[in-house]
Amino acid sequence: MTRFLAKRFGQAVVVIFFVTVIVFLLLHSVPGGPAHGILGPKASPQAIAEFNRVHGFDKSLLQQYWAYLDELFHGDLGQSYTLNQSVASLIGQRIPKTLVLTGMSTLLALVIAIPLGVWQARRRKGLTDYAVTTVVFVGYATPVFFLALVLVIVFTQKLPILPAQAPQTQSIAGLFADSRALILPVLAGTFATVAAFSRYMRSAVLDNLAEDYVRTARAKGASERRVVWLHIMRNSLTPIIAMLGYYLPVLFSGALVIESVFNYPGMGLLFWNAAQTSDYPILLGAVLVIALATVIGSLLADVLQAFVDPRVRGAIK
Amino acid sequence: MSLNAPVVAEAAPVRVAGSYRRMASLFFANRLAVTGLVILAVLLLFCFLGPLIHHTDQTHTNLTGATLAPGTQGHLLGTDDVGHDVLGRLMIGGQTSLEIGIAAGLLATLIGTIWGAVSGYAGGWVDAVMMRVVDAGIAIPALFLLLVTATILRPTVPVQILIIGCVSWLVPARLVRAEALSLRSRDYVQAMKAMGGSHHRAVLRHIIPNAIGTVVVNATFQVADAILLIAYVSFLGLGVPPPKTDWGGMLSKGISYTYDGYWWLIFPAGIAIVLVVCAFNAIGDGLRDSFEVRLEGR
Amino acid sequence: MSGPALEIENLAVSFGRGRDTVRAVEGVSLAVAPGEVVAVVGESGSGKSVTSLSTLGLLPPTATTTGTVRVGGVDVMTLDGPGLRAVRGAEVAMVFQEPMTALNPAFTVGWQVAEALRLHIADLSKKQALDRAAELLEMVGIRDARRRLGQFPHELSGGLRQRVVIAMAIACEPKILIADEATTALDVTVQAEILDLLRDLRARFGMAMLVITHNMGVVADIADRVVVMYQGKVVEQAPVEDLFARPKADYTKRLLAAVPRLAPAEDRTRDASAEEALALENLTVEFRGGVRAVDDLSLTIAQGEILGLVGESGSGKSTVGRVAIGLLKPTSGTVRLLGEPLTGAKGRALRRLRRRCGIVFQDPASSLDPRMTVGDCVAEPLVINGVGDRTDRVVALLESVELDPAVRRRHPHELSGGQRQRVGIARALALDPRLVIADEPTSALDVSVQAAVLEMFLELQERLGFACLFITHDLAVVGRVSDRVAVMNAGRLVEAGPREEVLFSSREEYTRRLVTSAPVPDPVEQRRRREERHRL
Repeated sequence: MTRFLAKRFGQAVVVIFFVTVIVFLLLHSVPGGPAHGILGPKASPQAIAEFNRVHGFDKSLLQQYWAYLDELFHGDLGQSYTLNQSVASLIGQRIPKTLVLTGMSTLLALVIAIPLGVWQARRRKGLTDYAVTTVVFVGYATPVFFLALVLVIVFTQKLPILPAQAPQTQSIAGLFADSRALILPVLAGTFATVAAFSRYMRSAVLDNLAEDYVRTARAKGASERRVVWLHIMRNSLTPIIAMLGYYLPVLFSGALVIESVFNYPGMGLLFWNAAQTSDYPILLGAVLVIALATVIGSLLADVLQAFVDPRVRGAIK
Repeated sequence: MSLNAPVVAEAAPVRVAGSYRRMASLFFANRLAVTGLVILAVLLLFCFLGPLIHHTDQTHTNLTGATLAPGTQGHLLGTDDVGHDVLGRLMIGGQTSLEIGIAAGLLATLIGTIWGAVSGYAGGWVDAVMMRVVDAGIAIPALFLLLVTATILRPTVPVQILIIGCVSWLVPARLVRAEALSLRSRDYVQAMKAMGGSHHRAVLRHIIPNAIGTVVVNATFQVADAILLIAYVSFLGLGVPPPKTDWGGMLSKGISYTYDGYWWLIFPAGIAIVLVVCAFNAIGDGLRDSFEVRLEGR
Repeated sequence: MSGPALEIENLAVSFGRGRDTVRAVEGVSLAVAPGEVVAVVGESGSGKSVTSLSTLGLLPPTATTTGTVRVGGVDVMTLDGPGLRAVRGAEVAMVFQEPMTALNPAFTVGWQVAEALRLHIADLSKKQALDRAAELLEMVGIRDARRRLGQFPHELSGGLRQRVVIAMAIACEPKILIADEATTALDVTVQAEILDLLRDLRARFGMAMLVITHNMGVVADIADRVVVMYQGKVVEQAPVEDLFARPKADYTKRLLAAVPRLAPAEDRTRDASAEEALALENLTVEFRGGVRAVDDLSLTIAQGEILGLVGESGSGKSTVGRVAIGLLKPTSGTVRLLGEPLTGAKGRALRRLRRRCGIVFQDPASSLDPRMTVGDCVAEPLVINGVGDRTDRVVALLESVELDPAVRRRHPHELSGGQRQRVGIARALALDPRLVIADEPTSALDVSVQAAVLEMFLELQERLGFACLFITHDLAVVGRVSDRVAVMNAGRLVEAGPREEVLFSSREEYTRRLVTSAPVPDPVEQRRRREERHRL
């Protein structure tokens, strides 16, 4: 078991290493050099030269990369020049809120999508079945922002029952205090992922329905409901966890869009504003942090799978 | 939303039977897939032939005729905030969306297939390193990467195609690698080796032709994803600059007018995106079903 | 109880609708009395599995069924959902072919056996169910039953898993137990043990049994009566000794004639050619994780000789085959092909050596590239090695394996399994090899097809004079085909020698156990061998 964990961990480290290389290269491809990227487009030549000397940008690329890694280890992601705060603290403030949003919509999506996917797998032809399949199919193809716009129009204009903007607080408690304002953002996030999750569940259940152990269970006299909800679901836990692991980057992308539509004060909005103002420290710091979160997340997913699936446990031993 | 992940999860083994005619008949029996094909054909005609029939001025603004409701002054879908005819804009926008989407999707498939095939066939540490690079790319959410690169480079159409292609090749790489990994241990590849065949021949004559099914199916999903991706990027304001536009850009304009009730600035473009992505997904599903062949035992 | 345990009357099952209707079973009638073992024997497409699935109502919804299937007097066809569920497991129980996938990998063995009990016996506490499960495991011959309760399926071997499935099946003491190819996927020694177990259970419980198989040896070993099926119909029913001694139907006669028999026969005289075709010296193959597939094996094959390499699964025989043709590199030891060293050969020398051997694989479904035409498949070795006049050669090769040359324009999936194997053989012979490795070439084929392909192969060998390493697990086939026989167990060579000596007068305990475990298609003879095996 420890060999597997060590190997997996080692892989994650290599991946993170490659991510820092990518981000570093991006930093150095900013037009005008990293000095421009960090000081801003209006910096004077002297400031740039001084900056380069202080930060060692006149040294070789490899030495710079080493220095960059060093800074990262010390948690220094640079300084935003539009917001006059350290990038690390900005991200630290915003990320919990994004996690609240994505956490809630993912949970809600799972609760809906799992039964939905199972139902779709077991379907017999019928009108409701076609209707549901179509809705899911369309949901899969709808861009999140369009869906969000439609929700805004329907629930704030036609039937003005919900506020169009998310709670504008700095604290997590504040988010929940004005919980009505949370509904639309979370709903938008949920709809977007339910379609994808249920499609995945459906194919996982279909694959399992064809397995021999299902035939054995039926031959023992188990009811179809028992077969699906006990036998098949237990075997579908592993693919679900794997799916969540894969889906992390997508969740963050979705959060970006939802936050910009609803003005939700999270990482995504921070990122979008930074993209408008070309605030590179934030952009690159955020990319790094999110990539890190994704790698750690999928590592956790793999480890969790190992614990949950007796076959993986056995194969590792 | 269908950025990346779900397609990875649904990689089903796809084996191609030798008969194209059989596959074609299976495909055309699938009503959903045929509907998708029809919708795609209609949209292509609409976007590329439409402007020849329905002439509108999409470069000059006309602020006196701005935000007119549908039906006024011969504008079937009204006009937008700078006076462009919305129907005409839909056609122009569609051209951009489809061009970038299709080109980027195909580029992503090409790069991904080669990377994945080499990685999967080689195995060992070559495969390990190549896949870690893919993992790193996948770890960074596509949208974030796109926005960063969009702020660095000027977003012209070729640049967009290149960027989206370079961000999207990761998923086909994973899929093709999995195929290559399973194919290289097939008996017929072993037999070929035993008779003196080279690695070169194995990849070109046996692995790629047998992985074509997966590649083609995935290509359609890649195009669908690319269209969505470019829509997202344009919606966030970093797409092609005016007077060109695409469907996502049209929606981004529309968002500022949600409270004014100018629904024609929002719905046409949004529905167009949904239609074309649905169409490509339906075609992809149909292709996958028609490729899947259960070889009869005995 | 009186009356038959199982009674099938005029069963007809068809799949699909309209033009695509396939009639799987037509007019089948049979009965099994309590305590009786009836074997249903047939090849693929005979409808035997469909018949058995109908007793449990386990056919897919696309099936249309008519006729009656009475279990203990109750017509299963008339039952609805809950009625069927009450019958399944409690009145009729079934054991399927693949033990490796029959159990749910996510639940423990104890839980699954207990489930079989709790589905039918109300008011059974978890503890009581587990206690009974432990008893059942012991009854099916699993030692250390208490510990096994907490294990997961992947921790058990194929034979043990099949025993667990049998335990689940007998848990509620059903009136009839159906074994659908229950021993086909097992090694021959394990198969013998499972058949012993079934016989034991029948004696203990007086349970009726319906044994479905394609293996005439199994039929001879366990059946009281035999039902022969062919293309969905019953062609003959008779008590077992009558069937083997005096078969009436044409098909039965053909089937019995096609079964390879493990019996002493005349030694084939071969020129005692001193030249070696293949020489393996101190061959060791170790895989990652320290698994030794082949352990210090030394073997030679003379030119023009057929060496049969037998062993059970995991014996390493396939690995030997692959090393012999250079597809695998040995960890240590040397391989000499036709006098020249294969180990360490590179580039042009390696290719030259490879041209002089051919390999035939087991699975007709994966040995030919589905995207190439048959002609291309056969021509591939010619293309790679730059041989001209390909069309003529391909036609000649196809004719030599008794196939119509027109078949070269078709694709593999359009051919039957037997035809595909012939194509595989044609491909292996394309470069006129001096050594052919045949890795279980007929194991995936029906009995009658197997006989024809083996005949053809032997004829070709006689004519072309190539040496052959014939790898198989089937002792009867080895007896039919080989000049010399080598036996492997867990990577080591147990013995090697002339066929008669190894098969019928071996002094090695493993070999004798292996040989006596293989069932022969003769009930009287089989009984004698069983007793001999029990004495070992």
